[in-house]
Amino acid sequence: MIAAGMVPSRRALRVWLRHLVQYRSFYVAEWAGNFGEHVLYLLAFGYGLGRLVPSLNGISYAQFIGPGLVVSIAMWTSTFESTYGAYNRMRVQKTYEAMMSAPLSLGDIVLGDLLWCGTRAIIGATLMMIVLSLFGLIGSLWWALSVLPIIFLVGLMFGSLGLVSAGLAPSFSFFSFHFSLVVMPMFFFAETLFPLRGLPDGLRLFSQTLPLTHAVKIVRGLIIFGRVDDFLFHLFILAGSTLVFMACATISVSRRMMS
Amino acid sequence: MVAELDIHARGLSKSFGALKAVDGITLQVERGECYGMLGPNGAGKTTAIRMIHGAVRPDGGELSVLGRDAAAGSRRIREEMGVVPQEDTLDNELSVYNNMWVFANYFGISRRRSRDRIEELLDFVQLRDKWGEQIKNLSGGMKRRLLIARALIHRPRLLILDEPTTGLDPQARHLVWQRLRELKSGGLTILLTTHYMEEAAQLCDRIGVMAQGRVLVEGPPAELVRERVGEEVIELRGAGREAAAAALNGLGLEIERAGDTLYLYCRSGAKAVERLASAGEREFLRRPASLEDLFLRLTGRELRE
Repeated sequence: MIAAGMVPSRRALRVWLRHLVQYRSFYVAEWAGNFGEHVLYLLAFGYGLGRLVPSLNGISYAQFIGPGLVVSIAMWTSTFESTYGAYNRMRVQKTYEAMMSAPLSLGDIVLGDLLWCGTRAIIGATLMMIVLSLFGLIGSLWWALSVLPIIFLVGLMFGSLGLVSAGLAPSFSFFSFHFSLVVMPMFFFAETLFPLRGLPDGLRLFSQTLPLTHAVKIVRGLIIFGRVDDFLFHLFILAGSTLVFMACATISVSRRMMS
Repeated sequence: MVAELDIHARGLSKSFGALKAVDGITLQVERGECYGMLGPNGAGKTTAIRMIHGAVRPDGGELSVLGRDAAAGSRRIREEMGVVPQEDTLDNELSVYNNMWVFANYFGISRRRSRDRIEELLDFVQLRDKWGEQIKNLSGGMKRRLLIARALIHRPRLLILDEPTTGLDPQARHLVWQRLRELKSGGLTILLTTHYMEEAAQLCDRIGVMAQGRVLVEGPPAELVRERVGEEVIELRGAGREAAAAALNGLGLEIERAGDTLYLYCRSGAKAVERLASAGEREFLRRPASLEDLFLRLTGRELRE
């Protein structure tokens, strides 16, 4: 069931702008908080835990985990925005309803939310990369900048997954499923925190099916080495699954909003 | 000459599961008219106007709004229509001014072009000094006025309001009424729902009384009251009310019993009052018939929940 109102248009940018206006009121506090958090993560995992880990293919554990943290921050940020944030807009504050009394379609609203998730992912990942560069963990600034489109895709993808849940959720507590079934497995098994080599075949296969794994491979390759093996394959999986999830998000939100 | 219709619904219906919320209503609202939908809770008013402004998809019937077929031209319709919903849909995370310009932006009006309009509208609803205030610091009446201002940002031709003054204090309510009358005299077409009979009497050229998803009667408020109720009502509440009513036999009055009260509906109460006086009955109230009598006669006196 694809209704006319589900097709997005340029008007999605008007929704995106609303989110930006709202963000302006709290970003300073958020950036300060995130910055401190990122430093803590890096110290705890990269240097604390990292002391126990031998060098991996000639790179330190802190180097290894840096790109993994960049990608997972993109995932966390866009997930929060699209689950708790979108549910609040959809059900509590009725922001969606107000938008729908203006000439915006559901497709515009969903795409606007997703573009915003991508934007937040870029902001979060950039902060993390600034922290990495302070610790000398970025190979080249230009290669680091080149990961931003991938981060944006990660934001779109997890924004879409979050919106699917937000459309289904009967209450806020529903999102604990989303976190334990979608976010946590990827956080742990998408080669974010440890390499998969030497793990049981089943686990490695599972990891390959996680879309985030492919984002991590691209981002790690670019940040550390400035090149990525099988780049097009990883990009295809990442972009393909993002498109599918975006369609699912539109359907889920439409079912909730149109009676 | 037939006046132009801004809203034209025929056989419009909507069910939620087994519940027929709106059961085939026909509605015509002319350009520049103020039409009020009255009805008890659950009568289907909100569902009806939500279909008209495109938030609920009808199951059946035809609907055209501002000359466009509602199913096909929904976005174009919304460009020329303002909606004041029953629930507060203000953006709680934004200030008063940002609420206004973000909403203007939804219509594609740039920040610079919207600025004068926002000032004018905040003046109009007396919220100019709340410009930078956060929404959570506004009272219920202020929020409602801001919702009205927001709905007017794009100079709509049709304004739809769902219970615009429910929960407001008398001052705020009168201000809203005054503003709506000004808008109406400026040529705006208005469709509203209300529980307040006084609101309907003050604002509406025509009303429709709804119950159980249907429009029971429709017409100008005063005319409807005269035709359906009469000119005057006498209420008898004393212990001897049945005996007193018996003294009025032969006058051809309509009598209604509800709880501890007898209602007598009549063209003129003069004769009835004479008879009551000579029968020694003093515990009665004589008053003009109102929209409330019409409403209660049509929709019954029991509670709707």
